[in-house]
Amino acid sequence: MTTTKGFASEAATSPTTPIVHLEDVGKSYGNIQALRGVSLSVRQGEITCVLGDNGAGKSTLIKIIAGLHDYTSGTMSVNGEERHFSSPRESLDSGIATVYQDLALAPLMSVWRNFFLGNELTTGPFGVLNSHKMKRIAQEELTKMGISIPNLEQPVGKLSGGQRQCVAIARAIYFGAKVLILDEPTAALGVNQSGVVLKYIVKARDAGIGVIFITHNPHHAYLVGNHFVILKLGRVALDAHRADITLEQLTTEMAGGSELETLSHELRGVDAGVVVDPAHPADSAVQDVSPAANETADDETEEGT
Amino acid sequence: MIRWQKKAVAAGAAFALAAALAACSSSGGKQEEQSSGGGGAGVADTPRMKVALITHSGPGDTFWDIVRRGAEAAAKKDNIELQYSSDPDGAAQANLVQTAIDSKVDGIAVTLNKPDAVIPNVKKAIAAGIPVTILNGGLDSWKQTGALGYFGQDERIAGRATGNKLKSLGAKKVICVIHEQGNVSLEARCQGITDILGDAVENVNVNGTDQPGTQATLTSKLQADKNADYVMALNAGIALTAVTAAKDAGSSAKVASFDMSKEMAKAVKDGTVEFAVDQQPYLQGYLAVDAIWLYKTNGDTIGGGEATLTGPAFIDKTNIAAVEKYAAAGTR
Amino acid sequence: MASTITSPAAADDRVSTRSVGARLLSRPEIGSLVGAAVILVFFLITAPPFRDIDNTGTILYQAALIGVMAVPVSLLMIGGEFDLSAGVAVTTSGLTAGILAYQLSLNVWVGVVVALALSLAIGAFNGWLLMRTGLPSFLVTLGTFFILQGVNIAVTRLTSGAVASNSISDMDGFDAAKAVFASEFTLGGITIKIIIVWWIVFVAIAAWVLLRTKIGNWIFAVGGDAAAARAVGVPVKKVKIGLFMTVGFFAWFAGMQLLFIQNGVVQSGEGVGKEFLYIIAAVVGGCLLTGGYGSVVGGAIGALIFGMVQLGVVYAGWNADWFKAFLGVMLLLATIVNLIVKNKAEER
Repeated sequence: MTTTKGFASEAATSPTTPIVHLEDVGKSYGNIQALRGVSLSVRQGEITCVLGDNGAGKSTLIKIIAGLHDYTSGTMSVNGEERHFSSPRESLDSGIATVYQDLALAPLMSVWRNFFLGNELTTGPFGVLNSHKMKRIAQEELTKMGISIPNLEQPVGKLSGGQRQCVAIARAIYFGAKVLILDEPTAALGVNQSGVVLKYIVKARDAGIGVIFITHNPHHAYLVGNHFVILKLGRVALDAHRADITLEQLTTEMAGGSELETLSHELRGVDAGVVVDPAHPADSAVQDVSPAANETADDETEEGT
Repeated sequence: MIRWQKKAVAAGAAFALAAALAACSSSGGKQEEQSSGGGGAGVADTPRMKVALITHSGPGDTFWDIVRRGAEAAAKKDNIELQYSSDPDGAAQANLVQTAIDSKVDGIAVTLNKPDAVIPNVKKAIAAGIPVTILNGGLDSWKQTGALGYFGQDERIAGRATGNKLKSLGAKKVICVIHEQGNVSLEARCQGITDILGDAVENVNVNGTDQPGTQATLTSKLQADKNADYVMALNAGIALTAVTAAKDAGSSAKVASFDMSKEMAKAVKDGTVEFAVDQQPYLQGYLAVDAIWLYKTNGDTIGGGEATLTGPAFIDKTNIAAVEKYAAAGTR
Repeated sequence: MASTITSPAAADDRVSTRSVGARLLSRPEIGSLVGAAVILVFFLITAPPFRDIDNTGTILYQAALIGVMAVPVSLLMIGGEFDLSAGVAVTTSGLTAGILAYQLSLNVWVGVVVALALSLAIGAFNGWLLMRTGLPSFLVTLGTFFILQGVNIAVTRLTSGAVASNSISDMDGFDAAKAVFASEFTLGGITIKIIIVWWIVFVAIAAWVLLRTKIGNWIFAVGGDAAAARAVGVPVKKVKIGLFMTVGFFAWFAGMQLLFIQNGVVQSGEGVGKEFLYIIAAVVGGCLLTGGYGSVVGGAIGALIFGMVQLGVVYAGWNADWFKAFLGVMLLLATIVNLIVKNKAEER
């Protein structure tokens, strides 16, 4: 049982050797190449953001680091040592904890049981739960992280999405994670709750943990990230340090760079047509979502100008 | 029910009456049914008694309904309150005997088709001073329980008699249909037939509660085995299913059966079923209850320490006329 | 930081007012307990023999016949799986012990031990096949159900020539084994079958394991969200296979009870349909059909409700034709009370 390091900030200001390093890693399922030539470094006290559209290979990447799948080419080293994980347990034992978007916790189990799931504190030969101690520690840790859950007996399913993410993150940190993989932690959350989770990610970083933050929201990524990797069709499309990139560039790259420009040009034309023209109130009644309606609107604006 | 109908009709509009009349069937239905004659006589003036009838029947079985009618007729005559319960599961049936003991009944009539499960509690009942009669099943083991008497058929004897009957009819290849796995009585019937006819008998297992499945199994069996000239069913429902199956399979096999019912009587009369082996279930229920009453009121026992056999009685075209109306009333 | 979380904080305030009583009410089995009480009162009023304390033993025995198997079935359901072969597996176990001891003229205990090994193996096979194929347990165990049903009757017929196993009641070790599995004793005028004692012991152990040990925590987790459990390092495969083997163990015990209470004879066709009674007991007792929630004590209460209704209808002397209808109404009643109580508990 590793105990918590607490939050006495021993944050590494200068990047040390990477805890997890991927070099030219690939993964193929039969003849489908889900991931090709991906290189990535995770350092202590740094947040590495992995961005990408659906199907870009983000989840394959997580699964490799989390030990759910093995990679088929390249090398992955943890603490300088080449590793092939055969189970999530091995990954966990190497200090890598993964918090999944929707499968982080068992919804019907109480908060404290979830907190210690897989790492239960037990006494005696029969694995008897030391529930008092577990409840106390869970309460302390959550309070320390600024999450207020008065009744630890309530099922996790009754917590808000943000609280759930925070419980999962607090748990990973408490159990001595050196690397924390967060899979779209803000995807299903509102603005307020996303804020809570983002602050929490920063706290984890300050505690000296290397964070891999998977997201498709460049705004969230740019708020907290030190390093940005964009995946596209299983390949690395961009790999930049915070100093080398602005939010605008990141957003543009994320959306597909030059493809986006074409798209934005097209959209500009369409957008103009959708604006309600007081002279033609009938047009506004037409459903502007249907392509036919858009086309008509487009034609009219062109005539008008 | 009928009184309510009359009232409703009287109060209702005239067209309803007209419609009701127009809708009447000219044949069949409830109207044609004759009122049951059994047990209609006077009621004994002996003290009111409570007797439990506990069988291994599954729910909704025609045969057990007839047994129950017989028991009820005897109960009515003897001023007995009859409590009927059943469970096909051995341990559960045994526990029903225990509940009868708990309820402090004056007598128990019970089937012993799963003797090893039920006997301990039968002994317990007798030890508690409750007279017990055995019916239908348990011929080999009833004596050790100390019960008053046994009312049923010796299935092996009935089987042999059936075997001889089939032999005299010139049967070459008989298919014996066992419709309930694990029922010793059914096994004994087929075994008895085999005793007489030897290799000419083949057993087939079907699930008696699954009529379409039974029909499909028998049809395919008859399609596969063109030599089969007799299908021996072990209850009325299976026999009627076998008739349909033989027709479907285009087989010329004739059907014979154990047990009677209203439909069976009709089938025997029509000639679709060759003959039926009747073990007279009404008599089993009647005697099992009446024997308790006789014992309680007069110290009588029936059978002189031996089993009282209620069958087999063969029913075919020659004697169906005498039995038909009782079968229609649900007492044969 | 907590101050920034506005809406969740409000939710927390509501929850924090829960009293000890409300916490008690939120236990999964509390609904079934109230349901059982309602059924009990109902039959105390309508069925005179029900009031006789001497008859408690009979009612408890009826409940234990289902209750013993409801223990592992509840655990398995909490672990997110079904076992449709549980009913016939009991018969298989009884037959194995009986046939083996008789055919090879062995001490009865040898048959008992071999039956245990076989029952555990059947459970392990179910679990292994489930994890291996990823098919729903409903399908996998349905296959096992048919296989066992067929093997039961075929092997019995091959060895004994009949559809029931030969009696082993006069063989060495029978009396000792009967004393363990199927004896009875009198306690304050009430005849208690030993299976009732075993049942209570099993329920206590299983409830303790479920609520107080690491394994229990894992059972909840694999049923609630197997992927989440796996991600935090819970050995999902081992837990599930272990649960199926637990069903195997209890099937063995129930099979031994069946063998020894029936004078060393087992009918090969029995046990079909019993699997649903076990599942019903577990569900009435508050186990979710979808897994991750429930209680062993609840399953026991479910079995008790079932036993009380089964015998209550007989004790009350109601027409047996209506028996199943009464049973259905009573079970619905118990389930509805269960639901109402649970909803009330959640409102607090």
